[in-house]
Amino acid sequence: MKQLQRTLLESLVITALGLLAGLTINYRVVIDAFAGHLTAPVTATTPAETGLPQPVLLAEVRELLNNGALPVDARDGGLFADGHLPGAVSLPLEEVETRLDDFGRQAAVGQTLVLYCNGYGCPDSFDLGLRLIAAGYRDVRVYEGGLPEWRDAGLPVVKEGGR
Amino acid sequence: MKRSGRVSYHLCRLLLGGVFVWAGAVKALDVPAFAGQVAAYQLLPYVWNYTVAATLPYVELLAGALLIANLRVKPAALLLILLNALFIVVLASVVARGLEIDCGCFGPDAGTTPLQALGRDIVLMALAVAVYWQYGRYAPPSGG
Repeated sequence: MKQLQRTLLESLVITALGLLAGLTINYRVVIDAFAGHLTAPVTATTPAETGLPQPVLLAEVRELLNNGALPVDARDGGLFADGHLPGAVSLPLEEVETRLDDFGRQAAVGQTLVLYCNGYGCPDSFDLGLRLIAAGYRDVRVYEGGLPEWRDAGLPVVKEGGR
Repeated sequence: MKRSGRVSYHLCRLLLGGVFVWAGAVKALDVPAFAGQVAAYQLLPYVWNYTVAATLPYVELLAGALLIANLRVKPAALLLILLNALFIVVLASVVARGLEIDCGCFGPDAGTTPLQALGRDIVLMALAVAVYWQYGRYAPPSGG
């Protein structure tokens, strides 16, 4: 029993040292997160420079949407109906070829688009972005945090029919 | 018999250590991306995802490095048992809630489903338990 307690104590010391190392090395990231300034993983450039959809963070997404950017939901229609960003248009990646013409009537090629799907593990918004850039859209951004981050930040989520 | 047991103990120790050093290093290199993956689990208030992302990789890295270096093996193995138990509970909650997320266990682009990750964590848990229990038998503090 005493042996187990000692081992457990040593495990806690290892954990504490690991936490301390992480906080020392990443104190900037943690402080920024608590201050509300999240660290951007990629320096923003315009899509025209790279030919790739550009990642945007939550704060930028809110600013872009306030300035008239169009949110585009890359998930399937059922998930879109369950909840999406206010004002979002549904364009599931699997249906892009059949729905691109319809989409073209809702968004001009110069329109700023903010694509999203199910968060960081979901590649659909990026793949959709590549397809839209190939179709001629010039300002395509990908909100990698997606609906999970948006919802967890306490921002409004709309069910189908609502705006 | 004893010799093969000792060899398998050391293989388990090195494998477990290697897996966690790798997992820790990959995530430590891209904290914001890992924070995004922690956020996808929908378990913590948003900014706490960054705190976890900033620290967890270093705990994994340290525990893995101790196992590889053959130092403090028993507490390092116990820590990984507890950590794996936590991961298993968290992944089980992801499966139960039907979330379709990447586990983020080995960095941003691993593409592992929660169910696959759950299976892998159970294997890692078994490995950690084996190292913990076999330590006294094959590598007692006296060095024998």
